[in-house]
Amino acid sequence: MKEIATIAIFGLLAALLPLLIGENPYLTGLLITILMMASLSSAWNILGGFAGQYSFGHAAYFGAGAYTTMILLSRFTVNPLLTVLAGIGVACMIALLTGTIVFRLRGHYFALASIAVAEIVRLSVLNFEFTGGAQGILLADVTLWGVDLNSKNPFYYGMLVVLLCTLFLTAYLKRSKTGYYLQAIREDQDAAASLGIDIARYKNRALLMSAALTSVTGSLYALYIRFIDTSAVLDLRLSIEIILTAIIGGVGTLWGAVLGALLLVPLAEMLRSNVLGDLLVKGGFIPETSTLGLFLKENLAHAHVLVYGIITVLCILYLPKGILGLFRRRK
Amino acid sequence: MIQHILHITHVSKHFGGNVAVSDVSFSVDEKEIFGLIGPNGAGKTTLFNCMTGFFPVTSGDIIFDSKKINTLRPDQICRLGMVRTWQRVKPLGSLTVLENVMIGAFSITNATGEANIMAMEQLHAVGLSDYATKPAGSLPIGLKKKLELARVLASRPKMLLLDEICGGLNHTETDSILAIIRAVRNSGTTIVFIEHDMKAVTSICDRIVVLNSGEKLAEGTPEEITTNPAVIAAYLGGGHHA
Ligand SMILES: Nc1ncnc2c1ncn2[C@@H]1O[C@H](COP(=O)(O)OP(=O)(O)OP(=O)(O)O)[C@@H](O)[C@H]1O
Ligand SMILES: [Mg+2]
Repeated sequence: MKEIATIAIFGLLAALLPLLIGENPYLTGLLITILMMASLSSAWNILGGFAGQYSFGHAAYFGAGAYTTMILLSRFTVNPLLTVLAGIGVACMIALLTGTIVFRLRGHYFALASIAVAEIVRLSVLNFEFTGGAQGILLADVTLWGVDLNSKNPFYYGMLVVLLCTLFLTAYLKRSKTGYYLQAIREDQDAAASLGIDIARYKNRALLMSAALTSVTGSLYALYIRFIDTSAVLDLRLSIEIILTAIIGGVGTLWGAVLGALLLVPLAEMLRSNVLGDLLVKGGFIPETSTLGLFLKENLAHAHVLVYGIITVLCILYLPKGILGLFRRRK
Repeated sequence: MIQHILHITHVSKHFGGNVAVSDVSFSVDEKEIFGLIGPNGAGKTTLFNCMTGFFPVTSGDIIFDSKKINTLRPDQICRLGMVRTWQRVKPLGSLTVLENVMIGAFSITNATGEANIMAMEQLHAVGLSDYATKPAGSLPIGLKKKLELARVLASRPKMLLLDEICGGLNHTETDSILAIIRAVRNSGTTIVFIEHDMKAVTSICDRIVVLNSGEKLAEGTPEEITTNPAVIAAYLGGGHHA
């Protein structure tokens, strides 16, 4: 109950935020990305945090949503919301196919298989014609119920709704039989099986929930950006960012993914726009024309995954329960 | 009339060339406390693993409650009402003691509140109430054994397979576990009991099967077993005699 109330308050505050910001496309865009990463990592956490099954291929489900929406909208006049549902269907099919095969096996096969499946999806999309191949898909303007989807606020609220759904589901799972069963599987599969838990079935259930939510986020993202290609929505880099955000925030917790996204998305944005390099140069720490200065200018923009990686290693070493774990130490 | 609830018929289990269980047969009656004893490596735990679906048998059949169960998965067997504890305890370490027992209770209810109540009852029964909110992984071994017991009891099994549930416990703790086991039997549960402590076995079991090197060496009442020359030679001879 306390958790439900906290989520509701968070939702309310987040809903009021755009009114505070006013017309600021850059900041709104950043917030949308934060909400998106928080949703994605929360959805990943249902499988990774509860069931302990680390997916390294969640981009496949994100891409399933994004591509299904874009392919349908670029060909037919359909309600965009219907394409979101279709995306869920495609994502769930990929999830079921993966899950039924891999979850019968013990050990870390799922982590490996998730990468393989995501790569198969990516390469297929790259090579098929109807997916736009390497060119990707560009979409002309769309409207939904008369709302012009050119403005950013609808997407801010769309992403917020998906995040809130994911958080509510997580809070519910924490107190439900399914959630407890998933945690039992994470802790000890033999003990779980001996207590009557159908391991493959519950893992599949977690994967389906996770994939469906991830796919919705992908569909929304596609509608928001209106141009997708494989490097934008199906890349391994995205899968890794989803995991790292969850790990850095705190795996298996309700707010870890949100916290991770709040920290990492702005950090990545700073690195991408070279704020850090500029600061070092402007502050006089490094001369602009020196080798180091040039190197930083060239490369720092691409360094955010590396920086995520370093932070993750530090987290695993010093904060095994993520940043949220810091606050729970005393318990 | 005596009802057999479990039939083990000509069960063998080979690991490559290693014969862990060899052509073992016996039957367990309803509401019986049935002892399974034998020296280290005799095949007791392996037999439990076969009975609960963790290992496929090499040959033979296991019939529980008139159903052939040797091709079922562990979770299916549990839901039929045959539940085991682990010799090497398997607490769900980062969950609380209460949550561990709730997971046992979830096999008979879907409601979290109800599972919570059932779990508290079982914690009380084994004397773990004070530890309800502690992480299960933090308990000392003796209490982990009690947790194993509370967790399976919460699923209200028809048949309980206990693998050295008293191992590592002191006399008072062993006595309290034995009292719980008797009470569970009186409430209608059948029990198969693996134990090295001969005093515990002979004091609680109605009948006993002795395994030695995977083979059934003897079967009978505690008196028959403790006076059986073959058993004494193979098993009790090593200074174990009560
Ligand atoms: N998974 C396995 N793979 C290969 N061999 C095994 C396996 N499990 C058990 N064994 C072998 O089967 C034999 C019986 O072992 P088991 O654990 O059943 O004995 P036990 O009667 O339970 O002994 P203890 O009293 O020490 O628990 C041993 O020789 C053991 O090495
Ligand atoms: Mg054993």
